[in-house]
Amino acid sequence: MRPALKEYPLDLLFARTFQVAQKLGRSTEKERAILLQSVPYVSGLLGPILSIGQPAITFLELMADYYGNLINAKKEGKKVVMTTFCFDPTIFYAFGNLVPVTLEVGTVITSILWKRGSFDFMDFCTEVGFSETGCSSQRGTMGAYLSGAGVEIDLVAVNMGGVCDTNSNAYSFAAQYLNKPFYGLDYPSELTPDEVTDYHHKDYRALIRFLEEHGQCRFDIDRLRELLEEKKIQDELTNELEEMQRLVPNPLPGIFHLLIYAARYTNSGSKKFTRMLREMVEVVRDNATNGRSGMGQTEKCRALLFYIDNFSFNVGMFDWLARHQVSHMGSMLSRFFPDNAPYRRDVSGTCFSIDTRSLDTMIDTLADINARMPMTRTIRGPYDAPNMWLEDSLSLAKIYKADCCVYNGTPGCRNTWSNVKLIARDLEKHGYPTHLVYADAFDGRVESWEATAMRMEEFFKIRGLL
Amino acid sequence: MSSILSQAARSIDLDPVRKFKEKGGTVIGYTCSFVPVEIFHAAGMLPIRLRGINTESLNIGDAYYGPFVCTFPKALLQQAGQGSFKFLDGAVISAGCDAMRRLDECWRKMSEDVPGALPPSWFYYLDVPHKPQGVALEWYQSRIRKLIQALEEKFGVHITDESLHLAISKQNKVRTALGELAELRCLEPAVVSGTEAFEALIARNVLPTDIYLEELDRLIEEVKSRAEPVSGYRKRLFITGSICDDLELVEQIEAAGAVVVGETVCYGLRNTSPLVSDTGDPVAALSAFYLSGSVCPRMFGYYPTRLVAISGRIKRTQAQGVIMQNIRFCDLHGSENGLLERDLEKLDVPTLRIEKEYGALTEKGRLRMRIDAFLEQLEKSRPPVQEAEG
Repeated sequence: MRPALKEYPLDLLFARTFQVAQKLGRSTEKERAILLQSVPYVSGLLGPILSIGQPAITFLELMADYYGNLINAKKEGKKVVMTTFCFDPTIFYAFGNLVPVTLEVGTVITSILWKRGSFDFMDFCTEVGFSETGCSSQRGTMGAYLSGAGVEIDLVAVNMGGVCDTNSNAYSFAAQYLNKPFYGLDYPSELTPDEVTDYHHKDYRALIRFLEEHGQCRFDIDRLRELLEEKKIQDELTNELEEMQRLVPNPLPGIFHLLIYAARYTNSGSKKFTRMLREMVEVVRDNATNGRSGMGQTEKCRALLFYIDNFSFNVGMFDWLARHQVSHMGSMLSRFFPDNAPYRRDVSGTCFSIDTRSLDTMIDTLADINARMPMTRTIRGPYDAPNMWLEDSLSLAKIYKADCCVYNGTPGCRNTWSNVKLIARDLEKHGYPTHLVYADAFDGRVESWEATAMRMEEFFKIRGLL
Repeated sequence: MSSILSQAARSIDLDPVRKFKEKGGTVIGYTCSFVPVEIFHAAGMLPIRLRGINTESLNIGDAYYGPFVCTFPKALLQQAGQGSFKFLDGAVISAGCDAMRRLDECWRKMSEDVPGALPPSWFYYLDVPHKPQGVALEWYQSRIRKLIQALEEKFGVHITDESLHLAISKQNKVRTALGELAELRCLEPAVVSGTEAFEALIARNVLPTDIYLEELDRLIEEVKSRAEPVSGYRKRLFITGSICDDLELVEQIEAAGAVVVGETVCYGLRNTSPLVSDTGDPVAALSAFYLSGSVCPRMFGYYPTRLVAISGRIKRTQAQGVIMQNIRFCDLHGSENGLLERDLEKLDVPTLRIEKEYGALTEKGRLRMRIDAFLEQLEKSRPPVQEAEG
């Protein structure tokens, strides 16, 4: 890795970037226009994001808070927990002295901000022995923390055992390499049986014991209740956004998906996240009332991304979809399965409910939420089993009136690349034209965004979608 | 050298298995070392660990799996699609790793296109947790009980504690004998080649136990009585890493002038922990034994346990170098080999890290060149091997 990269702490860079960017909320339109001319490298990203108004500014504030907390953690006597995007962070905030750092979020930020993405950090992982075929979503910033360019990690807690080996393996490697305590929640291949729920609950309690032991404190029950009550509000607002997406044209700007899940992965339960969701609801409601598409132009087609999005430089895929008048109907990352969501499946145990009546019900709630996070719920068992990938994708495609399905992921995803051909065939049989993107969502060296865009264009044209 | 063990290690279609079937026996295939074979033996069945050896094309495997997937499960699917597993009455797919657990779906879906590719009677998925203790161990135990129940219902058999104890006892005899063979491999000068020993280890996974035990005992006695040690080897090597039943790899290493004195790979000898308890609740004993070793990097967070076990065996075998191999896209072993490289080198154990395809799909010329170079490097003098602290 270039020595220069170690000289500038990554989290400090993120914190300062977001701290400066959030001030754009106080700028005039003219000032913003001048700014975009002055920063041609990131104007392709800033332009579309700022065009959505206040929610974008609040998002920038959220990220400034998140990375600000991270860089101040040690000074404030807090411990830093390395975790994954599909691990709901509420429990860390309930502890008060734990600050989570989510590798995948950092990787996405570098991927969309820098043309070179996080290649240097990815390659550092290989340099110190990690498999180069491992998932790029972790490697992207894991290299920073392994090399010392990120904050010092105190412990590692994840939840991908039984769901995603490459994810678990990356965090396990990081823990061993840094010689830090590790805890991994484990998941059976089924979701709904009572014995599985019991397993989730017991395992989560063991996680809490681990956090108490290595975090050297007990979590604050009142704080946990407060966070969960706030999450209830957040779920209701998110559900409203989801409900409005069923309209034709879809009034939700595609980029909202990215902002919502990134904020949820990092700031779940925070009041500012609630504020951002409220602001989004206002924007989307206004679009809906006026029959406007979230893209700002006519909707020609609706695409469900049945795995993840693509985070190429300047959010190329989000931009491509909007330019081609294709509504982005969300991805696996967008859905969390609360029991009041419009896309809930009416099968007992498939969704979670928030119960704050007692400590036990709150812990069970956290375990249930974690068991239904993106990936954790949908790709744990056989893709064609009840409540798994195929049923979820078909259900979402139907509810949101998708015209087609697009798979986008990373070559590091051993899990989905082992059955994506099967599900694609089934989606086609059910009448959904389905496109498989062979690029890497986080690493433009695998396939350039330009090549990916060309293949998307071909798919949408040949299948008569545009 | 035992011709029965050698044949068993080199072919999927085996005479003893055919004979077992002709007598009305039930043969069950399985895919991972976390499946307790004693359960099938207790039911009077023959468990056979599935292998993808001699796979020359992956046209079937590639049709169902995506491109970024290890060639081992693809080779198994290929063999299944080609009809090489027609002798199976049933199969158990378990959560070895992501690609292996998806063999469940790929095999089922492939059989919709290739009628008869699925075992006729039974196709079962076994959940295996990724940690060895507490709630995970309880869960695993409950899965083993479910597996027993499923076997009983499907095949009309009754698996009793007594039959399980008998099966455990017999498999413990196998483990004891394999331990003895492993000890013989520690001798310097070497008295048994790695190829010969590896044949015996692989054969364990596919032969009826009585035949296997007889052949293994015979081999051990014959090795003990050998007048001449293995001649002319340059260095003693140890193999770690991804699943490996690739005799050609061992033969290639030995053809380059080394002797392979031990390995921790699936199909080889991985778990040298004490025997399974043959008293008390047999399911609890089996669960504890199979899950507790943490012998595979699929058990996340247990690398230190494995390091101690592996470095201990390296020292005991007096290996002078370690070849750490992984199949491309096997991230678990690929990454663990990185940690092992760091830690073994700290213990003054020279290592060679290689990435390759599964079995016959490996490009052999490139591999041979690297093994030759490693042996040349080893011929510089090195201090004695240390052991990691437990």
